[in-house]
Amino acid sequence: MICYDISDKFPAPQEGRNYFVAIGLEGSANKLGVGIMLQQLPTKHTPVPRAQVLCNIRDTYITPPGEGFLPRDTARHHRNWVVRLIKRSLEESVLPAKMSGEVENRPIRVNDIDCICFTQGPGMGAPLQSVVLAARAISLMWKKPLVGVNHCIGHIEMGREITGALNPVVLYVSGGNTQVIAYSHQRYRIFGETLDIAVGNCLDRFARTLKIPNYPSPGYNIEQLAKNGKNFVELPYTVKGMDLSMSGILAYVDNLANEIFNEKSNSKLKYTTTGQKITPEDLCYSLQETIFAMLVEITERAMAHVNTNQVLIVGGVGCNERLQEMMKTMVVDRQGEIFATDESFCIDNGIMIAQAGLLSYREGITTNIKSSVCTQRFRTDEVFIKWRTN
Amino acid sequence: MAENIIKQAHAYTANIPLALISQGAEALVFTSPVHPYLPSPPTCAPDYILKYRPPKPYRHPVLDAQLTKHRTLSEARLLHKLALLDIPAPRVIHVNPKHGLLWMNNVAGPHGFSVKQWVWDIELATAPNSALRESVMKANMLQIGALIAKLHLNDIVHGDLTTSNIMIRPKMAAADASVPVPPHNILNPNLEPVLIDFGLGSHSALAEDKAVDIYVLERAVESTHPVNSETYKTWLLDGYVQEYERGGKGGKIRIKEVLRKLDEVRQRGRKRSMVG
Repeated sequence: MICYDISDKFPAPQEGRNYFVAIGLEGSANKLGVGIMLQQLPTKHTPVPRAQVLCNIRDTYITPPGEGFLPRDTARHHRNWVVRLIKRSLEESVLPAKMSGEVENRPIRVNDIDCICFTQGPGMGAPLQSVVLAARAISLMWKKPLVGVNHCIGHIEMGREITGALNPVVLYVSGGNTQVIAYSHQRYRIFGETLDIAVGNCLDRFARTLKIPNYPSPGYNIEQLAKNGKNFVELPYTVKGMDLSMSGILAYVDNLANEIFNEKSNSKLKYTTTGQKITPEDLCYSLQETIFAMLVEITERAMAHVNTNQVLIVGGVGCNERLQEMMKTMVVDRQGEIFATDESFCIDNGIMIAQAGLLSYREGITTNIKSSVCTQRFRTDEVFIKWRTN
Repeated sequence: MAENIIKQAHAYTANIPLALISQGAEALVFTSPVHPYLPSPPTCAPDYILKYRPPKPYRHPVLDAQLTKHRTLSEARLLHKLALLDIPAPRVIHVNPKHGLLWMNNVAGPHGFSVKQWVWDIELATAPNSALRESVMKANMLQIGALIAKLHLNDIVHGDLTTSNIMIRPKMAAADASVPVPPHNILNPNLEPVLIDFGLGSHSALAEDKAVDIYVLERAVESTHPVNSETYKTWLLDGYVQEYERGGKGGKIRIKEVLRKLDEVRQRGRKRSMVG
């Protein structure tokens, strides 16, 4: 159970300022991210000021081909790097002169920061814990309040901030999550989601079967291979109403891949219906075509359901250009708009945690250090979205 | 975009008159006076319904063809099964799986309307808490509940129960020539519900799936008829339970299981629980 301290008073910026600064720490999976975000108060001339990214750095734990990242090793990676990354983020962030009221731009100081935001869940337990530990430590050292953030909300809020999408249907696709989300009555409601594994997980595990590198990311390498795929191999297609399921597809395509690599096997599975030999590239291509079609289909259903024509894609798999292209075809057909961000904001990062955390902080929501426990299971619709209207 | 798709639909149906009545994410629904086999109609009444699943340009053509064929066929099979079971639902007249066309009779008839519209109309036409409203509404809500129970007792789940996917029509027996049915008489005491749109329907014997079906309907009632949703939900569930209980001891055991699951589903929502 996630507990917050909700104050009736809205916190004011530090004396003589019209802006807030937050540092965000993210480490729910194999990426450790630190970001520093600046949000201005609205003024007469700019009623909705854009947030400013002062710094957005990330370090990814990469495993050898054929291996996934284990919680213990990932947590060790985060512990090793978190101090260096925080220090670097402070050095790299520049506070513009017109903000600080000083003569020159200067690096940000600890005192400039209003709150420390951290990922409270969902994610892998051990990596989450090591980052929470760091957040608590700097909170005590710097005497700044903590704000726990739901990872999914971070993605959504950052996507909205960067793209300017007002009220989109959100497709959140990453290594650990697959959800179609729409906002209604101060909650981000889940319209459809995966019933078993996430899209990214499916792609990552298939990359392991094919033994392709994990750098820069398994999904990216599959995307590149898929560009050379020519034959479409039929795979299971499992959309169940608004939800989807991917474990069966993975098992099926893994089996096909093993047949192909097994020289002795004379299985018919090695050939397409037209008699051509199936290549790993064909499998990557077919896997992408199939699971992305499923994603686009449930997104379209959600759009028809809530009667909106905006779509926002967030999460690591959202970088995939083929997914963006398919989504665009669907959205253009419905005379709608598609919003997607680039890899610096799609892939897990600290700045999105700072953004979502700052939004709650400005509504008077903070996390007491006693309740700053993290949780592996933290649903998107559990969070009360105080900063948006009905 | 819609014009293009309508053009395709015309091309596959030899340019018969088609009137678009609804457009969802997956399919378009038209009415038409033309029957695929019978000679040209004497009247222009929109007696037939055409459901058209257009090709989706974002999908790989092979995948798209396979899905359209599979879904059109499975919906037709389900509707055929319902016809055999004598559950009021559209009857299939013609299927063209390759082009995703499903030709059905207009089951609600010229004087039918969706339950959604019907409830809205009654809420406008009658005073709140009036005996008239209660009697008409209760009788029909119980019937709807019983109809869903009939479906579930035959191990079929609808998959997308909303008040717009249930139609209401004058009872066929009462609609004989000697008693002319006034058009759009919402207070007609002889109404009966009909289920439509089995696009997400499936066979399932699991109490969980049936509970989810009811839960989806409850949520739909809450969002479309917010003022009296609690009463409506009670009536619907009463009708559902009564139909099961009519099945004697076996029915009572099954309904207990479904209700237990329904409580679970209500607690966690339609979604899998992530508490733990």
